[in-house]
Amino acid sequence: MVMVSPARGPRARPEGPAFLARADLQVLLDLLREDGRTLIGPTLDGGAIVYDEITVVEDLPRGWGDEQAPGRYRVHDRGDERLFGYVVGPTSWKKWTFPSLVPLTRSSRDGHRVSFEPVPLDPPRLAFLGVRACELAALGVQDRVLTAGPFVDPDYAARRANVLIVAVQCTTAAATCFCTSMGTGPEVESGHDLALTELDDGFLVDAGSPAGRAIVERLPIRPATAVEQYGAAATVAAVRAAIGDPVPAAGLHDRLLAQLDSPRWLEIAERCILCGNCTLACPTCFCTSTTQATDLAGTTAVMSRIWDSCFSPGFAKVAGGSFRSRHRDRYRQWLTHKFATWWDQFGESGCTGCGRCITWCPVGIDVREELNAIAPARPPAAEITLVEPAAPSPTEFVTARVTATKAETADTMTLSLEPDHPALSRGGPGQFAMVELPGFPPLPISISRYLPGGLELTIRGAGAATRTLCKLQVKDEIGLRGPLGNSWPLDRAIGRDLVIVTGGIGLAPLRPLIDAIIAERRRYGDVRLYYGARTPADLLYRGELERWKSGNVEVALTVDRAGPEWLGPVGVVTNLFDQATWDGSGMVAFVCGPERMMQATVSTLAGRRLPASRIYVTLERHMECGIGLCGHCQMGKYFICRDGPVFSLAQLGDIFGREGL
Amino acid sequence: MTHGRVAARPRVGVVKFASCDGCQLTILDLEDELLSIVEHFDIIDFPEATSARSAGPYDVLFVEGSVSEPAHLDRIVELRRRSRYLVTIGACATAGGIQALRNWGDHDAFRASVYAQPEFIHSLATSTPIAEHVPVDAELRGCPIDPAQLVELLTALSTGRRPQLRDEAVCMECKRRGVVCVMVSRGIPCLGQVTQTGCGAICPRFGRGCYGCFGPRERANAAGLSRHLQAAGDRPREEVGRLFAGFTAYAEPFRTMVTELGGTRQARATGAVEVAPTGGGNARQ
Amino acid sequence: MHGNEPRKGADERLYEVGELTRVEGEGSLRLRVRDGKVTEARLGIFETPRYFEQLVVGRTPDEVIDIVARICGICPVAYQMSAVHAFEDLFGVTVDPVVRTLRRLLYCGEWIESHALHIYLLHAPDFLGYESAIAMAADHRETVEKALRMKKAGNHLIEIIGGRPVHPVSVRVGGFSRAPRRRELDAHRPALAEGLELARESVRFTASLPMPAFAREPRVVSLRHPAEYPYNDGRIVSSDGIDLRPSDWRDAFEEFQVEGTNALHARARDGKGVYLLGPTARVVLAAEQLHPLARDLLAETGMAELIRTNIYASIVARAVELVHAFAEALDIIDGYRPPAEPAVTWTSRPGVAAWATEAPRGLLFHRYQVDENGRIAAAQIVPPTSQNQAAIERDLVVAAPNVLDLPHAEATVRLEQMIRSYDPCISCATHFLDLRIEEA
Repeated sequence: MVMVSPARGPRARPEGPAFLARADLQVLLDLLREDGRTLIGPTLDGGAIVYDEITVVEDLPRGWGDEQAPGRYRVHDRGDERLFGYVVGPTSWKKWTFPSLVPLTRSSRDGHRVSFEPVPLDPPRLAFLGVRACELAALGVQDRVLTAGPFVDPDYAARRANVLIVAVQCTTAAATCFCTSMGTGPEVESGHDLALTELDDGFLVDAGSPAGRAIVERLPIRPATAVEQYGAAATVAAVRAAIGDPVPAAGLHDRLLAQLDSPRWLEIAERCILCGNCTLACPTCFCTSTTQATDLAGTTAVMSRIWDSCFSPGFAKVAGGSFRSRHRDRYRQWLTHKFATWWDQFGESGCTGCGRCITWCPVGIDVREELNAIAPARPPAAEITLVEPAAPSPTEFVTARVTATKAETADTMTLSLEPDHPALSRGGPGQFAMVELPGFPPLPISISRYLPGGLELTIRGAGAATRTLCKLQVKDEIGLRGPLGNSWPLDRAIGRDLVIVTGGIGLAPLRPLIDAIIAERRRYGDVRLYYGARTPADLLYRGELERWKSGNVEVALTVDRAGPEWLGPVGVVTNLFDQATWDGSGMVAFVCGPERMMQATVSTLAGRRLPASRIYVTLERHMECGIGLCGHCQMGKYFICRDGPVFSLAQLGDIFGREGL
Repeated sequence: MTHGRVAARPRVGVVKFASCDGCQLTILDLEDELLSIVEHFDIIDFPEATSARSAGPYDVLFVEGSVSEPAHLDRIVELRRRSRYLVTIGACATAGGIQALRNWGDHDAFRASVYAQPEFIHSLATSTPIAEHVPVDAELRGCPIDPAQLVELLTALSTGRRPQLRDEAVCMECKRRGVVCVMVSRGIPCLGQVTQTGCGAICPRFGRGCYGCFGPRERANAAGLSRHLQAAGDRPREEVGRLFAGFTAYAEPFRTMVTELGGTRQARATGAVEVAPTGGGNARQ
Repeated sequence: MHGNEPRKGADERLYEVGELTRVEGEGSLRLRVRDGKVTEARLGIFETPRYFEQLVVGRTPDEVIDIVARICGICPVAYQMSAVHAFEDLFGVTVDPVVRTLRRLLYCGEWIESHALHIYLLHAPDFLGYESAIAMAADHRETVEKALRMKKAGNHLIEIIGGRPVHPVSVRVGGFSRAPRRRELDAHRPALAEGLELARESVRFTASLPMPAFAREPRVVSLRHPAEYPYNDGRIVSSDGIDLRPSDWRDAFEEFQVEGTNALHARARDGKGVYLLGPTARVVLAAEQLHPLARDLLAETGMAELIRTNIYASIVARAVELVHAFAEALDIIDGYRPPAEPAVTWTSRPGVAAWATEAPRGLLFHRYQVDENGRIAAAQIVPPTSQNQAAIERDLVVAAPNVLDLPHAEATVRLEQMIRSYDPCISCATHFLDLRIEEA
């Protein structure tokens, strides 16, 4: 390839990508504003990068970047000179091609007669600078909806025909992007008049239409070097790699439509505020309503079109009521239309993966997460363990030293241990460890407390191995593998009221949960612990119960058989709350105990209106390895050690409580 | 609610219960339209503006203010009897107003703390919206009402169509106007998602969160928003409760939120919700 | 409802208006004269109490600013200003100088809106014999339209800075949640320039109105500042030697309960007699700080002394202040550059936050006790109308002899007109007021 000197000279006409020096960008901006065009581009306003009228390079957000997450958007100083070092912001180009308020028709009434006059079209001439691949795709989607026939929106068509598009290749991605999954990016491929890729010293320029080529010919460009081309390609590839494939889209249409009765819709409805932000931030949503303005005499009127949303209350209303009055129905309508039925109507996805609905949802609902939950491409993955466990192989154990022992009841001991591996003091509440003494079979024991640099195990001496463990003294050593399994999902309980129901030694795996709750008590609502044991002497952690009460945990105890000093309730643990006045429909429940007790409890909780998706149980099965290799703990489609031991009732469905499964 | 033109030149009254007069003033603040309005409507009773009085009957009666005194109970019933079309205007009339915060509390303690001889003060234990006492034909929400909505209502009355008062979230108006969401971009708690639009999204436009003065919208998921503010915003329950304890606190579901989260002193006194020190200040933002 | 016929036997007359009109809020008038002597002069206030001083307990300072605005729909800015200055005084907050100026601009907007409303819609009809501005518009349409344009100019100014004219949203401790852009204020300049001209006409118009006979020596109280007409800052001064920091209102004044009524009155602790607040007081005490355009017009009317002694002439004082407000607003806009930040950060301190600012109707005093958690523990709010009550009732006594010879209905109207001269804002009365003065 011939290298042409980068100095300015007579305008060359290179084949292939051209390069525009950073210092010459203003020339492009000026060209875009010829012919009475108004230039719209990104600019920093308040705390966001929005699209607005610009004239000079100084108007662009030099050195600014953005950080996006569900329900969160922040700009920050990148510490460099990049002009396009961010992705899409709250405004979309829809603001100009499909404005939020457009007068349509003027009408008047005079006696019997009426007359109607369309408001004349007067589309402004515009140039858009900074259109991303997902946005190009969105313009294409709206083109199909509004102009591909059989009926055409004249205002949209006129505006659209008067726009010159300068696309900008994304050189970074936000955590909310998923254009890759929707097949719309990150590469800018078509639909643009010009496309720019920003490098350190300037821009790769590519023309995509005759209008674009006409502009390129008037720019002080030179051919791009191989290094520059390679750099641009590598940047785009890095963006693609960073985004990955968050929503497997193959077959999404069918999978989603098969889930119109998924319980997840109801769960979303608890979080979704029906505010409509997602639909108005979305660059492809096109639903509108009309609004009428009349004078006091009522003789003249102007009918205008405003953005509306399928989330708004009157949207599906007719004289008899609304077709879509329930919360969950509206969210379902939006998601299924956008990702499924849009295909049937328009032959493509309605979503271009720009992520605005994720960022600008004030409560942070993430459509990617919802799609993967409602219509997953593969069975639910095993719960991710919180830390890499120590000794994650059937052949290994790490040693741990007993540093203290405490007899909780006649047959139950708590051992305090200092392990030789840090992972065992950093697990989550509800995880367990495989415990090994030389010559004995390995046992799964729930971790009953985490300590700095250590942990506690509460063990009931029910067989030879456990009785041996109970007889250990300070300085004795044992072998451990863990922490294993998943943990109680405390994050689902933030801001909610909690119910913890347990019996006997079932309190042991719940104690770290209670520790975690008390450590950040104000993140949770009312917390009620219902605990039953056979006799008063069998109640664990008696000394801690008072401390928990003063940590603002309500504690209710019951026993099957009372002694002379017992003044509390007698009977099964469900008696403590089956007549309670609280309504469980907003609550989360954590249940652990003998299987029969858990079944009765779950049934009572359901009667108190707790939904299955928020009742969690922990299951116990025979385990030899604790890491899903020995096959013993298989139940249905799960391995208890690897997919559990904590499950929601919604996950278990009707395999919970079925004999012999 | 009846539609169709109310009358050729409707006889209009404007009356006041417990309120600040701001909503009535909004009528007088329609400077461009006022003289045209009085041509289309016969203002027969509007004490703030005219000494001409009339006891009705009214074709349209605008009612500002909440029911707050024993004398109000009979008065509103009598006014309803004399009105064809009764419109409540403002947060006091539609939701009980900011003074409804006393509904959670010990009313006698309220009176005693301000007046040394409280037995001479005749006020009810509660401040309640007009609709709790008589049927209401239309309402204009807001604290104060929005002038454009007022004109829309008058135009609708004049022409015989249903007033276009959209029951959707303030968020819709923010997005239509291109206002950047203060909650997403600055972490400022905003009730706009659960509040009925009508104001033109003033507070987010002016860089602060909506405080719900137009009252809860249809299907307001206040519980969902409250959970989110506590979890993601790491805010104590009581602070979220106070957010709902504003000018429309008494309207559901804000009312339940105030009670459950301890949004007023009295609601807190009955629960075990602690007052977290605010640190006082705006450094968080 | 107007008056009863005198009873047989004695020459006893009762002038009564059950529900005053063209005042803000709900009040009544009762004047009983026997044998030419006043035996009862009462401004009854039956506005329903809303207990604001209790509602703010437990809230934070920024919440208080939003809440206290609702005490009054005509002067919400005044409540926000008194509150915000009280908190900033306690917390040791110094705002950006531009913010200080913006607050004056905001107050200009409220004074314009309130004074234009009062002069033309509430008070002028009395002087010209109409029952309302609406009726007045039938004969004086242009005058009423001009009044509405002035009022609109004031309202729009508040709207630009505060979001809406009634209960603006942007006032915060430390400044504003948003500062206006230059171009927003510039776009409004023509309306304000027109308003200034209309305000100047208003001074001439009010000065030419037939002024009922009335004279007494008043005791006046207002803020005064060496360099500016009093809005948010200065010292509390009186025509006879009181001189206080605005936080120290209680050193010279107090609220007290009148035996046998459920009233909370205000009085000067020195026992030297009733005092009055408002445009009359400010024009008497602070005329030197009026904008030159306003000062010159005041001189042109030659009515400075009449304003001082004849309460009916307060309408002229109000018009003079209207000129001042427009003129100052224009000056501020011409020099405006947005501040670097609309608000400064602050942290609260426990203690007493107190301040007084000049509402359109006069001195408005707020006092809050702030606790260690940054919440309000107790509050005291003393509106100007509460403080003016004693003066109103004293002036009813003064007015009585002047009306005795008039037909009863006309006399009653003249008495209402006198009460309206105070521009009473009764919703501001957070207390339930029912005054009675016994005059010998």
